[in-house]
Amino acid sequence: MPRSSALSRVTCLWVAFLSLIIMPPAYAEAEQSEGKLMIHNFDPETGKRIIPNERCLTCHGDEKQKTDVRDDGTPVKIFVHQKQIEASVHGELRCNDCHTTIERVPHRKAPHVVVGCIECHKETWEKYKDDPDGKHKRLKVVNDQVGSYMQSIHAQPSKQDQASTNATCYDCHEAHNVGELGSIQRKEKRLKNPEVCGRCHEEQLADYRTSNHGKAVLEKGDSDSAVCSDCHTTHAIDKPETDKAKLAITKNCGDCHKEAQRTYFDSYHGQVHRLGYTNTAKCHDCHGSHKIQGEDDPTSEIHANNRLENCRVCHEEANENFLTFWPHGDADDRANYPGLWIFKVFMQILIFSVMAFFWVHVVLWLYREAMDHFQGKSFAEDLDHPDVVYFRRFPVVWRWIHGLFAISTMTLILTGTTLLFSHTGWAKAVVAFLGGTEMEGIIHRTAAVFWLGIFISHLLIAISNIWRKRATFKWFGSTSMLPNMKDARDLRDMFKWFLGRGERPQFSQWTYWQKFDYWAPFWGAAVIGFSGILLFAPEKTALFLPGWMFNIATLIHAEEALLAAIFLNSVHFFNVHFRPERFPMSTTIFTGVIPIEEFKHDHHVEYERLVANGELDDYLVRRPSRRADLASSFITTVLIMSGLALLTLVLIGLMTTPS
Amino acid sequence: MTDINRRTFLRTTGGVAALGATIGFPTLALGAVRRVVVIGGGAGGATAAKYLRKLDSNISVTLIEAKPNYTSCFMSNEVLSGERTLDSITFGYDGLRRHGVEVVIDRAVGIDPVKKRVQTAGGNGFDYDACVVSPGIGFKWEAIEGYNEQVSKETIPHAWYAGPQTELLRRQIQAMPEGGRVIVVAPPNPFKCPPGPYERASQIAMYCKHHNPKAKVIILDPKFAFSKKGLYTEGWTKLYGYGTDNSMIEWIGGHEGGTVEGVDPATLTLQTEFEEVQGDVINIIPAQKAGAIAFAADLVDGDWCPVDKQTFESKRHKDIYVLGDASSAAKMPKSAYAANSQAKVAVAAIVARFQGMEPGDPTFVNTCYSVVGEDFGISVAAVYGLDAKNNMIMPIKGAGGLSPANASPEIRQREVSYAHSWFKNVINDMLE
Amino acid sequence: MKRNNTTSNNIYTLLLGMLALVPATVLAAPTGQALSFTCAGCHGTDGSSVGPSMPAIAGMDPEVFVDAMKAYRDDQRNPTIMNRMAKAYSDKQFKDMAWFFAGQRLHLFPQEHDAAMAARGAELHKKYCEKCHENGGRPGDAGTLAGQWMPYLEYTMDDFLNGKRKWPRKMRRKVDAAIADEGQEAVPAIIHYYGSQQ
Repeated sequence: MPRSSALSRVTCLWVAFLSLIIMPPAYAEAEQSEGKLMIHNFDPETGKRIIPNERCLTCHGDEKQKTDVRDDGTPVKIFVHQKQIEASVHGELRCNDCHTTIERVPHRKAPHVVVGCIECHKETWEKYKDDPDGKHKRLKVVNDQVGSYMQSIHAQPSKQDQASTNATCYDCHEAHNVGELGSIQRKEKRLKNPEVCGRCHEEQLADYRTSNHGKAVLEKGDSDSAVCSDCHTTHAIDKPETDKAKLAITKNCGDCHKEAQRTYFDSYHGQVHRLGYTNTAKCHDCHGSHKIQGEDDPTSEIHANNRLENCRVCHEEANENFLTFWPHGDADDRANYPGLWIFKVFMQILIFSVMAFFWVHVVLWLYREAMDHFQGKSFAEDLDHPDVVYFRRFPVVWRWIHGLFAISTMTLILTGTTLLFSHTGWAKAVVAFLGGTEMEGIIHRTAAVFWLGIFISHLLIAISNIWRKRATFKWFGSTSMLPNMKDARDLRDMFKWFLGRGERPQFSQWTYWQKFDYWAPFWGAAVIGFSGILLFAPEKTALFLPGWMFNIATLIHAEEALLAAIFLNSVHFFNVHFRPERFPMSTTIFTGVIPIEEFKHDHHVEYERLVANGELDDYLVRRPSRRADLASSFITTVLIMSGLALLTLVLIGLMTTPS
Repeated sequence: MTDINRRTFLRTTGGVAALGATIGFPTLALGAVRRVVVIGGGAGGATAAKYLRKLDSNISVTLIEAKPNYTSCFMSNEVLSGERTLDSITFGYDGLRRHGVEVVIDRAVGIDPVKKRVQTAGGNGFDYDACVVSPGIGFKWEAIEGYNEQVSKETIPHAWYAGPQTELLRRQIQAMPEGGRVIVVAPPNPFKCPPGPYERASQIAMYCKHHNPKAKVIILDPKFAFSKKGLYTEGWTKLYGYGTDNSMIEWIGGHEGGTVEGVDPATLTLQTEFEEVQGDVINIIPAQKAGAIAFAADLVDGDWCPVDKQTFESKRHKDIYVLGDASSAAKMPKSAYAANSQAKVAVAAIVARFQGMEPGDPTFVNTCYSVVGEDFGISVAAVYGLDAKNNMIMPIKGAGGLSPANASPEIRQREVSYAHSWFKNVINDMLE
Repeated sequence: MKRNNTTSNNIYTLLLGMLALVPATVLAAPTGQALSFTCAGCHGTDGSSVGPSMPAIAGMDPEVFVDAMKAYRDDQRNPTIMNRMAKAYSDKQFKDMAWFFAGQRLHLFPQEHDAAMAARGAELHKKYCEKCHENGGRPGDAGTLAGQWMPYLEYTMDDFLNGKRKWPRKMRRKVDAAIADEGQEAVPAIIHYYGSQQ
């Protein structure tokens, strides 16, 4: 290119470059002389005035002038205790870190007290949350509490004046005196808590002063006693009518009164409450809330003269027998509740013995069948010649009764064990799934009535059948359900067979375990059914029976149900489905029929008898259709799975029972 | 650019570097000191000298001033009334010397704008990178027939530079017979210190009120109005009986025949348009023009020096800055405060240019205080900005103006105190 | 790059030339310093007035400065000349000037005062004035009192007491209390105290 334009371009670039680097020194300012200038009182970045705390304390820390007068003549307290603030959690902050509207000292206008607690705590936590020295880790708790506060009723606009909230941070917290954890300030604040709340909640404070809690805190300075926030929580405050508040209060009573809470949660009221039902007797329903007294005080809600009124709030027709109910009955407390204790011990021994015995039975049987299998001696289906001939064991009625029984039992277990194990997460989930505790109660009671209905129907059918054939009915015959000596011998022989000391016994129509399975529900119906009826209608029960019967009914109802739940879903399932010969399942109780070879193997004595009488053909049927087979397998599978699920839940409940 | 060869590039770069060095970027020019020569040690020149040193102590400043001491013309009217002595308004240049200004007592006689050199009467030459010329005024003796410099020194002082003529005038007033007449001849516009002649008349009246109550002060004025006229009138009415038959002061404006055309020093008689007026003491303040050096250095166009209003650089010669009374600085008046204000603008422009930058927007202030009498002070004030399009210095609208009419006595009294404070502070700003 | 088209060649050169001039094309509005220099004629070089009455403004609290200028702009504070000056400036210019003066060192000059009155004034100040005018009235958010020119202090106190200038009601209460305590000599004593400070 022509040299002149090249020259001019290079020139221009150099000039531009040089002037860019040389310009800045031209703006250099005049030198500063020593000493502080007025501009040093301002933050160079923000241009804002730096107000040291001493400046504020010149007026606000003057003990001789603790109040001032506003423009309109109203007095205002201005004093701030310097030592207090410095000792507090905010001691290192500048006054106007919080009082952000203060920019001039002396103030030009009476300053509006605008202190933004929430933003600052949030931002400071964001800044320091990854700090390794953990100096600010308490801020996480603060922010959680702030979150609770923001959801609470205190953060709602006041109904009288929507420009302010019901209560805000510094209504309760003395902002200049927030103590570190473990400080004297915190202790003092705790003791002042009722008076702080009472600034607005005057009635409640007046009531509280008369109570045991109140006297201990306000008169004796006992900080172990309950203050407002102990029951109502500090920040997650809701109207006491809400479920959330009620549940929180009950939980909080228990923080101090642990034993009382434990025994309460053992009672029906407690169980159903712990599941989230608040329309039941809670701590403060019986004990009162702010006027709480010990039972010896005649004004106390739980004094003998006053207690019945409380029961009548829900149980409108309660009579004196309600007074003999033990609301905190403790089955482990032999000294105070010997009756309850005895029943518990009895039931637990029963459960233990039954389960111990049968689980040993199960384990040994498993062992034996496994050994036989390895030794090639087991009973197995001949796959080349599958059975086409089946023996009909169960008529339709039996199959229906068993099916309905199974379903209603499982329903009862599910809806009942939620109460027994109301401390578990699964219980609450089940209740939520079922549509709440009231719905669950309805389901339980309906299933119970149903179950009893089936039981009684069966009883009636059996009785009517026996009556019709009373002339020829063989009470202890081969097909009888009544236990006999053969059963005892079979039991002995089975154990011998388990241990390899003898041959497998041969059984007639009903094995001893099947008879047990038949008769056990009678016991169950008696215990659970009877106690259940008592529990169903407390006012009616109380017409005849003393209140403590209710405690005992609750106990035995639960323990017996537990026994049934565990037994059926473990032992019964093993006997019928899980033992290797039968595994994965037997559908017989649903199809009603059993393969002939299997019948021959399992109930040899009966088989021989029928063959000898020439009655065998009466019971022989074709193999169920493929569709029937599938359907019954499906039903059986579903019930097995449900049962195992229930067993699991129950075991979880047992293992996590709080001590 | 890729077809530029190395030789060309290097040559260009070298050329630019050399050019850069001669243009004088500060980092390249370390060790080569900037020199400014200031002609005139009055309000404009002294302020310029001091502020040059203040803003950049790397600039070498030489002040050339004919008189060894400075006697301020402003506030000199109080010498006439006896409120002050001449000594109390005379100041030395040691303050400037403390700032590092080289003060040369000599008279500048010429400036070579090409060689950038100032020539003095004492035969010395001073080279400059920038020159500040603040010579004040010269007098158009020819405007009044019979009046000249000699007459002013001996018989009819103008005292429009404070010094011996001020003392002469003072003695003449003191020696006046009872009921004598003092005639103050005011100059036509434009002139240095617009309210000055009227303050002078007021101060003389104040003296006469106490010492010669029957005396009269007559102002013969070619103008139809004068600065702060309303306020002066108010003060004269209050203090000197203005408007009554016994008024101590009279003002005869140009429309009333106040223009003086000639004077006879022997008989102290003035020739106006219509009549002859005789006085016991006559003070003629002649029509004015720029100081002598402005003419000698070819800085004037007519009577005054045209300047770029953003920087006060002469429009006739580069690197020469004309300040104060000698410049055409409309709409700023010719006053000490104005000169002091303009000096700072010129200095800022000079310093910026030395640093290779463009000068910024200028801002000016003028306040003129007048002491009308005892506890009666008045002022006029203005803040100015640059109207770049028309190259005019315009007062900011809505601001400035006169002292309020009929103000309370305490306001009037305070303005006297502030007038004295202004005096002390402006002297301090110039010379300390 | 080879460019055969001379027009685009020229444009390119022109653009480069403009680049060289970039630093030169930026003009500034009057700086805070330039604005503040114009005040020196009355208020002294860099705001340290040599009196006898014009107040010193060097080292002044910048927000107090802006408050004063705004008040003057509104014809408040019984002004003589400052209201006419203040109307020429924008709020930003007030701020620029304020920060200029805030960055200056205040130089004080000895004032004639009565030592006994000053001593009494010191006690009165401590009792009634120190809380707002801290450090004996040194420059701060309540103005510059220590070493301020006494006539100026007299003028302002007169204006406060005669209702010609608004004052904070708290200040009124304190001054009233001081006068109740000491009588009419209270304010002059306090002024002598300030005038005595260096």
